[in-house]
Amino acid sequence: MEHFLGLSGVLFALGFYGVLARRSAILILISVELMLAAVSINFITFATYLDPERFTGVIFAIFAITIAAAEVGLALGIVLRLFRDRGTSNVDAADELKW
Amino acid sequence: MLSRLPLPPQLDRTITLGAVLAVGVALPYVGVVLVLAAMGTLSVAAVVFWMLAAIIVAGACGAVFSNHVVHAALSLVIAAMGIAGIFLLLASEFLALVQVLVYGGGVTILLLFGLMLTNATEDPLVTDGTQKPFAFGVGLAMGAVIVAAMVGSTWRAGEPMVVPFAELGVRLYRDFGLPFEIASLVLIVALVGAIAIGRRDQDGDVS
Amino acid sequence: MSMEQAGVLIIIPAAAFVLVALFHKVLPRQGDWIVVLALAAVVAIGMLVVVDFQRVWEHGEFVPHGANRFAFDWVNIHQGVFQIEFSTYVDSITAVMIVVVSIVALMVAVYSVGYMHGEARYGWYFAALSLFVTAMLTLVLAGNLLMVYFAWEGVGVASFLLIGFYWERQSAAEAAKKAFITTRIGDVGLLIGIVLLWRASGTFDIQEIIKIAQAGGFDHTYLTVSMLFLFLGAVGKSAQFPLHVWLPDAMEGPTPVSALIHAATMVVAGVYLVARMMPVFNEVPIAREVVLYTGLVTAVMAATMGLVATDIKRVLAFSTVSQLGFMFVALGLGAVGIAMFHLFTHAFFKALLFLGSGSVIHATHQQEVGYLGGLRKKMPITTVTFIIGSLALAGVMPLAGFWSKDEILHATMEHAPLTVFLLLAGSAMLTAIYSTRLVLLTFFGEPKDQHAYDHAHESPWLMSVPLLILATLATVSGFVVFHGVGTALGFPGGIGEVIFEHEPEVFHFNAMFAAGAVGSSLVGIAIGYIYWGGTAERATRALSWAPELHQLLLRRYYIDEMYQAIIDRVILGLASVVSTFEKRVVNESGIDGGAQLINWFGYRLKFLQTGKIPNYALAMAIGVITLAVLAFRSE
Repeated sequence: MEHFLGLSGVLFALGFYGVLARRSAILILISVELMLAAVSINFITFATYLDPERFTGVIFAIFAITIAAAEVGLALGIVLRLFRDRGTSNVDAADELKW
Repeated sequence: MLSRLPLPPQLDRTITLGAVLAVGVALPYVGVVLVLAAMGTLSVAAVVFWMLAAIIVAGACGAVFSNHVVHAALSLVIAAMGIAGIFLLLASEFLALVQVLVYGGGVTILLLFGLMLTNATEDPLVTDGTQKPFAFGVGLAMGAVIVAAMVGSTWRAGEPMVVPFAELGVRLYRDFGLPFEIASLVLIVALVGAIAIGRRDQDGDVS
Repeated sequence: MSMEQAGVLIIIPAAAFVLVALFHKVLPRQGDWIVVLALAAVVAIGMLVVVDFQRVWEHGEFVPHGANRFAFDWVNIHQGVFQIEFSTYVDSITAVMIVVVSIVALMVAVYSVGYMHGEARYGWYFAALSLFVTAMLTLVLAGNLLMVYFAWEGVGVASFLLIGFYWERQSAAEAAKKAFITTRIGDVGLLIGIVLLWRASGTFDIQEIIKIAQAGGFDHTYLTVSMLFLFLGAVGKSAQFPLHVWLPDAMEGPTPVSALIHAATMVVAGVYLVARMMPVFNEVPIAREVVLYTGLVTAVMAATMGLVATDIKRVLAFSTVSQLGFMFVALGLGAVGIAMFHLFTHAFFKALLFLGSGSVIHATHQQEVGYLGGLRKKMPITTVTFIIGSLALAGVMPLAGFWSKDEILHATMEHAPLTVFLLLAGSAMLTAIYSTRLVLLTFFGEPKDQHAYDHAHESPWLMSVPLLILATLATVSGFVVFHGVGTALGFPGGIGEVIFEHEPEVFHFNAMFAAGAVGSSLVGIAIGYIYWGGTAERATRALSWAPELHQLLLRRYYIDEMYQAIIDRVILGLASVVSTFEKRVVNESGIDGGAQLINWFGYRLKFLQTGKIPNYALAMAIGVITLAVLAFRSE
């Protein structure tokens, strides 16, 4: 069980790094997907090891995947919009919200 | 450093890097795992796990470190497939299927469409922000925190139980019927929202 | 209406005030009828209350803290640890005050309908009048000192509003301010006195304080100081020396207001307060001496100033101050009944005089005697009633003023040093002189300003009827000293006896003494006639006899100038120091400095906000990790 959790942790940390380090909005989305996948692994691990009678975690993983799909769709819409407005999908370009 | 290696010049940098990694890291890793299996230290399931773990981590690294966006997206597919395998290992066939369908299919296609539409290949080599070193440190720290939390806790020993399809269906549609419906509502709202945000402005249309 | 329900007397004018103040713009006739009706109701109910009091008193059932009291808790902290009641208390002093306030207020309201006709803010005038009556009745009905204080401030506010009624006029605005600030000095003294009494006794209730004081519950010096502070309040409100300066200026207000507030009711609040607290004053003779001599000085000074003033209303104002001095002299001798008697008669004849002068002003638009004269032919009713009022003021038998003033002089002769008596008798003679002068200059002789004379006319009936009623009262109200008359009017046994219940001072009419008093009044009138009854030349000669003295009196003993100098030199000097400190240290370094510091930091710190999302995400991530680490460490 610890192996699965460790794998999930490594995956999450990699995604985390990606979100912070990447500049392209698409790449940030990819990193977010990694983090969500890591979370899904955790859910299922806990469900099948600790709660095999009710396996609520599996249900949650299903919801997580659903929401992830919705989020990607919506986020891509936003990225498209940003790209059309500024000619780039670089998140550093959208920095008007300051002093 | 790589360019100084005596390699054929027509080879793409990425392929070179992939080959080097395959020969330098993957082969010894597979060897070690197989030797351990042969010695009886690792069960079959463990061998499968370690293989899948290697694939996933490799895919994730590709997605995160690759300088080429298309490569990154394709690496995500590899990682997603590996994760589907992990789900199988955790005795959740349904989720494995869902994972393959949604990630391997939908999400990746969506991302590639996004790349195509935003023409993001224009500057493939400058994909990372200026705060990369900090991000690296923070990522390491995050991993350390998670692993520390995991190691610091005591877990119940046991084997993963198989989740039968039928029971899963019953549970999903009976006990979680309302959240399920809400989730579908969220999906439709997200779709409509994405279309509303992403469509081209009509004349006289504000926003 | 029994004594317990006397609170209705407060509610009626209060309701009228709220109604008229809010809706005078939409009410027909701007709501004056509401106020007049309310005041008529107050008169009726006030009479019922007084009759109830009389019934109880006559049957010998009057208990100082019994059925005459009505109270409910207003503030009650910790079950009576700190308790303030809203209480009304009716006794003989209250009864006198209710009669005076309600009757004069009604007369003035009716008169005002004629006098104020066509004025701007006509409705507001009546609203303020109502407010004043509310506060005044609260003051006389109050059962505890805190309520007295609130009502005291309430009449002050109403007085301020009405003095400054013509606020477009600089002098009126200044006079209102002067009155407010001057009385405020006294009010602070009153508040200090009340708090001192509360601190030592733990109660605001007047009757309980009296009980404690009579049982010797206070330290003697402490009580003396408290009562002196209390008396300072009375000095301010009743315009006694040295805080008398506001009253002559208060004549800037509409004349009916002067009649009501600055002659008959509000200015006697000080007399009322001292009378109310007299059992306590009796415990501290020094405070009573102070009351006596303050009254004496005021009576003499004001009478002399009244001799030379040229404005009708100011002459009457000085006369008021002087008569209030008489009342304080009586109080200083402990003769509450006599003081209240003089208050009673004075209210009627002085209100009459003011309303008469208002009638003159209304007709001629002049109030300087230098422009009047000969009006007797044009304004017979005003002339007759004014003369009745003047004779009452001068103390001619059998008019009201004679009885009460005679009482005061008699008491002074018997209980005070001879000098006091002589000075007081002298100022009584001066009273006769200046009232004769006023009458002669206004209504007799040749018209000095033909234009004003030509325009003069008798006032409308709305104004002359109150004059006639008040003239009647000024004639007969003195008779309440007599047993029968007093009983019939609600003061069983005559006013002196009913008020001074412990040692009934039955009216001691002394034929010889009365003859002397009337004689001196007549002499005064004769002197007045000699100087001002003849040609203008003789009057001028009188002035040039001692120009310095004349100037001294005309400038009111330079007291105003002295106050002005003190304010300019001392107070403004101190104020400029404080102001500089405030500007330099508090404002520029303290407030602006702090603001500039924050501004500067803000300018520097704003660059922390890059607007770049990854930066924010990084910061957030660091925060999350830090929290996680902290959470682990705390386990």
